[in-house]
Amino acid sequence: MSNVTQAATRDIQGPLLELVDVKTHFHTERGIVRAVDGVSFTLDRGKALGIVGESGSGKTILSRSIMGLLPIRGTDRTGSIKFAGREIGSFGRKEMRAVWGKEMAMIFQDPMTSLNPLMKVGDQIAEPLRIHLGMGKTDAVATARKLLQDVRIPEPDRRLEQYPHELSGGMRQRVMIAIAMACGPTVLFADEPTTALDVTVQAQILDLLGEQRSDRNMSIVLVTHDLGVVAGHTDEIAVMYGGKLVEKASTKRLFASMRMPYTEALLASIPKMADASHTRLNVIPGRPPDLVNPPKGCRFAPRCPYARDKCLTDEPALTVTPDDPTHSFACWFPVGSPEYHESRARIDKEAAA
Amino acid sequence: MRYLAQRLGRFLIVFFIVTFGLMVLMRLGMNQPGDPARTMLGGTVTDQQIADVTARYHLDAPLIVQYGYWLKGMLTLDMGVSVQQNLAVSTYIGGRVLVTLFLGVYALLLALFVSIPVAVYQAYKRDSFGDKALSVASFAFVAIPPIVMGVLLILIFVRYLHWFPRTGDKIYPWDSPTQHFRNFALPVLALALPVGAVFSRLLRGDMVRTLQADFITLASAKGVSTQRILWRHGLRNSLFSLITSIGLQLAGIVGGAIVVEQLFNMKGMGTLLVSSILSKDLFVVQALAAIIVFSVVLVNLAVDISYAIVDPRIRHMRALS
Amino acid sequence: MTNIDSAEMAATDTLFPVPASQATPSVPSPSLRKRLHIPKPSVIFASAWLIVLTALTFLATFAPGLVPFIRDYDAKVKVNGHAKAYGYGPGWTAWFGTGKSSEDIFARCIYGAKMTLIIGIGATLFGLIIGSIIGVVSGYFRGWTDRIGSIITDCLLSIPPLLLALILILRLDDLKSVYTWMGWITRPWQITFTLGLVAVAPFARIVRAQTLTLREREFVTAARSLGASRSRIIFRELLPNLVPAMVTVAFTGLGILIAAEAGLAFLGLGVERPATWGKMIDIARDDIERAWWATTFPCLMLFFTVLSFNLLGDELARRFDIREAAV
Repeated sequence: MSNVTQAATRDIQGPLLELVDVKTHFHTERGIVRAVDGVSFTLDRGKALGIVGESGSGKTILSRSIMGLLPIRGTDRTGSIKFAGREIGSFGRKEMRAVWGKEMAMIFQDPMTSLNPLMKVGDQIAEPLRIHLGMGKTDAVATARKLLQDVRIPEPDRRLEQYPHELSGGMRQRVMIAIAMACGPTVLFADEPTTALDVTVQAQILDLLGEQRSDRNMSIVLVTHDLGVVAGHTDEIAVMYGGKLVEKASTKRLFASMRMPYTEALLASIPKMADASHTRLNVIPGRPPDLVNPPKGCRFAPRCPYARDKCLTDEPALTVTPDDPTHSFACWFPVGSPEYHESRARIDKEAAA
Repeated sequence: MRYLAQRLGRFLIVFFIVTFGLMVLMRLGMNQPGDPARTMLGGTVTDQQIADVTARYHLDAPLIVQYGYWLKGMLTLDMGVSVQQNLAVSTYIGGRVLVTLFLGVYALLLALFVSIPVAVYQAYKRDSFGDKALSVASFAFVAIPPIVMGVLLILIFVRYLHWFPRTGDKIYPWDSPTQHFRNFALPVLALALPVGAVFSRLLRGDMVRTLQADFITLASAKGVSTQRILWRHGLRNSLFSLITSIGLQLAGIVGGAIVVEQLFNMKGMGTLLVSSILSKDLFVVQALAAIIVFSVVLVNLAVDISYAIVDPRIRHMRALS
Repeated sequence: MTNIDSAEMAATDTLFPVPASQATPSVPSPSLRKRLHIPKPSVIFASAWLIVLTALTFLATFAPGLVPFIRDYDAKVKVNGHAKAYGYGPGWTAWFGTGKSSEDIFARCIYGAKMTLIIGIGATLFGLIIGSIIGVVSGYFRGWTDRIGSIITDCLLSIPPLLLALILILRLDDLKSVYTWMGWITRPWQITFTLGLVAVAPFARIVRAQTLTLREREFVTAARSLGASRSRIIFRELLPNLVPAMVTVAFTGLGILIAAEAGLAFLGLGVERPATWGKMIDIARDDIERAWWATTFPCLMLFFTVLSFNLLGDELARRFDIREAAV
């Protein structure tokens, strides 16, 4: 195996990523924005985790918090973040620079603005190679070429010499993936990687990511608001709302038997092919919570159709389902509970009236 | 390529119009056949002399024709004669042009050398005390015209500290580097500071905006060092306003140079220009004006071309148009 | 100039900007200063300076006797009954000291201010009107008109202002002796005209740029579809929207023109009476050692005035979101 993929095959015992009560708060004029407010989970080697939520749920900040790509001034990040057993939560910029690009990589939403418009594609791919792996010019170019082939870009020699604006959106995203894969990281954070792309290209990119994952035994954290994206390409899904983790389960189980009403609402809001045309879209009423003054109690309560008094005053903790230890959720009256059915009946009656 | 030809064409048109216009301006009011010659010769002259000069330099031909002759002469570097000095203009102004050239180039280089690092630092440490202090300073410098700057510098460095001499004789760097430096230091500084301040303000603004872009975050996420991000990614992408500004500031630099030369008694184009306009040494004025206009337009052309060099997107757009 | 409001981006670091939607999810409430619409200290200073200056010039022109501290232009401030060159340094008797002919420098500064402001404003108006006409016509009609307009602007831009001024002023002097009917073109007019010419190009450029953008906007298309004539569109729709740009350039331009006028005066091409600041600096520069105040105060006046116009122009550019690489 080439030295590039060697990094990805490093033997790592135990979970790759362990988060314990991670919080990220920003100091702004309005007050302290609690973008991420106590998130914990683990991620194993080679697994794909989807982080789903609306905009403002904190999902993007979470992935950046794990990587440490946060402003220095006015930011508080607390909690433990262990990467391959090492506590990186306390790493400063300097230490993280050795990790960024080499062991942890990230791809962003908009490939047009994420690539340097004035730099050749080849140079941009070669950059991490030369910095982290100390490659000379010829080696770097050769490796870059191979990377372009890996991400299935035709005519790689020609593309190496081109500039980002000469490529299509899908190709640019592939280039971003190539850059991320360059040094063979163990985990890839994909921040809304398909949102800016055409639907037909989306599938290709997701498949590509899946391929890279299995080839390199790499973990992927897929951050998106689109449940359709995570459905076929993740092992586990974590649902975020208002800066908190509200449900986490394996993908199959989440879609089949979700517990949190928010998750239910998310699923319900996806328009289905089977619906008749002109079927009203199911929307979740209301707006995302204010992260400076979040609601007391459950953060989703103000918008939850099944909310009761307790939901507005006491914040539910993450509990594990009795039949599946990998499925946790935070709700007082989850889907399937007697209270839930009660509320459901009431709503249905009102709707019929 | 076609774009280049277009720009070149524009360049020539502007050059012709301006130099012709200036020539006309200089000749305004000299309606009598002998007037131009008489004015150039100055003093007491005989009719014969006037007739001679008029004939030799076609001073009675229609203006367009005279312009034609002049152009032809310029192409062969025959810029006419300083009738008063009775010297060929080309030999006469050579040294002067050199002095002003030194002044201008030094000032521009100094302005760039200082403003670029300052702006990069400011953009990196945005809103820190250093950034704010530098912003105030650069704003102040922008408001100080070269004369005021020159006077201040003289006051401090010549009168009080006696570090630098008052007059600037023509001393070339190959004659005596230290003396050359001492003569040029203050004038160059007087010119460079306001210009540099404009540059740094523009560049800071552009860089701050650039550093907000996604590709900068991506570069960090690749593990690229801060230094490299600032210079290779940040600065490289922020040069547009700066380059444009160089072109626009040039006219101002020339004007400032004229004033500064007067102030420091330097024997450059500026002082020569002033004296020859006053004494109406027509050919000298025309030659000098032509050189000045030529350089300004040339630099602007270079600026325009450099956009294409710096930004491949523009290169491709132009290739398509 | 770009205007990243530092207060609102307090949580951002230069290399790691937080996506805006995350950092400030809802509309941030403005700071106290903004809520009360109090302008920045620099703007306050700039406006105050200019207002005071204008007020003083008004007083000096229309009510010279009324204000005791603005002496007559030629009045000699006597020291112990004698007129002494540079008799007084800055102090109670003469605020900015006295000059070579015992004149009150403060008073001279004010008279000079009057002339400078008149010339500056005159030149700016000239440049504004002509430049805007060229700009609007270029931008709206495009095609050949645009090309001609651009060539005119390019020509003007390639002549260093000082060069143009030198030639124009000196030649006008000559012409006046030939054509006596030109006698009314006194120095102030010459300078105003010359500086006005210099001011045309910047106005033309920015007005053209704005026109090009505006003409594509819906309100113009709407007017056109209603059958509005071209001139009506220009005057009713475009012009009012061009005003912010014009005002911004006017203020910044004034700063530059005033500095240019000082340069001309310094070179000896300025107005003789009343002497403007540039000329005052020129007169006194040989005696810098003996009487620093004679040079320094006009310098300061010049500096603060240019600074004030620059500050206001900058603030206007910020408000109207105009980005112009350099005027």
